[in-house]
Amino acid sequence: MPRLVGIELLKLRTTRLTYGLFFAAIGLSILFAAMAAARAGARSIPPLASAAGLAAVSVVVGYALLLALVLGITVSTGEFRLGTATLTYLATPKRTMVLAAKALAAAVAGAVFGFAGGITTTVVGLVFVAAKGDHVALGSATLVGHIAGATFAGALLAAVGVGLGSLVRGQLGAVIGVFLWTVIGESVLDGIYPSIGRYLPFTTATSLAGSKVGGAFYAAGGAISGPAPLPFGAAAALVAVVAVLASVLAAATTLSRDIT
Amino acid sequence: MSVIEVVGLTKCFGTTSAVQDLSFSIEPGAVVGFLGPNGAGKTTTLRMLLGLVEPTAGTATFAGCRYQELSQPLRHVGAVLDGSNAHPGRSARQHLHIQAAVAGVPVVRVDEVLDCVGLTGAADRRTGGFSLGMRQRLGLAAALLAEPEILILDEPANGLDPEGVRWLRELVRRHAADGHTVLVSSHNLAEVAQTVDEVVILNRGQLVTQSRLDDLTAGKGPIVRIRSPRAADLRALLTAEGATVTEVGPDGIEVGGSTAERIAAIAAEHAIPVVESTTETVNLEDVFFALMRASDTAEVA
Repeated sequence: MPRLVGIELLKLRTTRLTYGLFFAAIGLSILFAAMAAARAGARSIPPLASAAGLAAVSVVVGYALLLALVLGITVSTGEFRLGTATLTYLATPKRTMVLAAKALAAAVAGAVFGFAGGITTTVVGLVFVAAKGDHVALGSATLVGHIAGATFAGALLAAVGVGLGSLVRGQLGAVIGVFLWTVIGESVLDGIYPSIGRYLPFTTATSLAGSKVGGAFYAAGGAISGPAPLPFGAAAALVAVVAVLASVLAAATTLSRDIT
Repeated sequence: MSVIEVVGLTKCFGTTSAVQDLSFSIEPGAVVGFLGPNGAGKTTTLRMLLGLVEPTAGTATFAGCRYQELSQPLRHVGAVLDGSNAHPGRSARQHLHIQAAVAGVPVVRVDEVLDCVGLTGAADRRTGGFSLGMRQRLGLAAALLAEPEILILDEPANGLDPEGVRWLRELVRRHAADGHTVLVSSHNLAEVAQTVDEVVILNRGQLVTQSRLDDLTAGKGPIVRIRSPRAADLRALLTAEGATVTEVGPDGIEVGGSTAERIAAIAAEHAIPVVESTTETVNLEDVFFALMRASDTAEVA
């Protein structure tokens, strides 16, 4: 298995899409963290000098985590879109082994996305704090905890992506589907049924990074007064269950389909 | 033991039957042409053999093991299906590095196979810009990486120029000379006739024949075409000699079971003028089409 994971990581390293998604994750993290920082202190939004104000900037990792999810999808669907699945399964006919190796490799890459997103938004927040001459209202342990959470969330979401991609196989459909679900679907559901917001998988994953429910993509997070997110362990377990469920479903259904 | 054994192999896609009750076996060291027109079920059969398509019924095994059960499949079987199946964004070298890692062979083999297929100069170019022929070569390079005992090639000549076809023929011969088994599919018997010594012919998903190439053409040639103003007299003399003579037009005959030299001698002996004499060796394409027609007719009947 470690050899198969290494091969999947080698595939990721030799694919331009990986780098494209990574730099998009960094770029979007900078953009939205900067926008959140610029708005801090306006109207009811807490100022950067407060813990809530800085956290509203340093945890805007939604796009980095979304792109980790997309990366996971491309890891599995790309094989079918580009016809490389034939060679992959000729080399490793046990398809569940391939799926597991892809999920683990994507988790490693997703962790890098989450880590980079967390570092980026934190740095943006600290730069704005320094520029305004404010003191840093959050302790380093909290900031490091958020970055670690983002790293973990990126790993879990990329694994979810591999499972979803194996289940759906169509890359474009899967990517559009997760964009609609994460950006619109969960927000709408959270708006209609606030009590279930913290159980929605993407929202739960972003809460691992310290985001408030509903505040992952575009901060003003400090102003959001939704229900408290799930505790870290429960949130991690929920996202891990989604990842395993998607992979198990794929293994039981689409994975054994003919490669024609 | 047969190195490849297909028994009662059947594949249905919905209500369409792509392969029906197909059985054949291949002995070690044989170079076998897997022939049939487009849509005959060749690719589906090969994909079932390689564990990519699940048979509806029957088995396809390598020395008794399904492909999925082989411990190191790439060391046993090298396959080229649909060209290279390489990621268009990777270079040929990157693609082969990945394949080498998968097969567990040293990276030094990458340069060896690149050289073997004539792609050294294009090794660092992205495969997305490769021609069809280059992709076929890259596919072969990947298949040869682990020096497999069996080579399975699905329409490998597609996209190759005449020089490439000759190169492919020599590569297959070299592989066979080392005692390896080769199964090469094609829709053109003449294309593989110089390479293979045995054929498995398929039509409409069913086996038409499995035969040595020599046996396929035995008793089918050559034919001598003669034009003479006294064709009828010559026909009578040749028939008396035991040759098979068919009348073609008012002054032409086609003679089987004799030679141009013998016919010329008989004509000279009886002062029969011969205007034209052409010897036509057996045409493999005709043999192939005749087999296809016969199998179509049998199916209709």
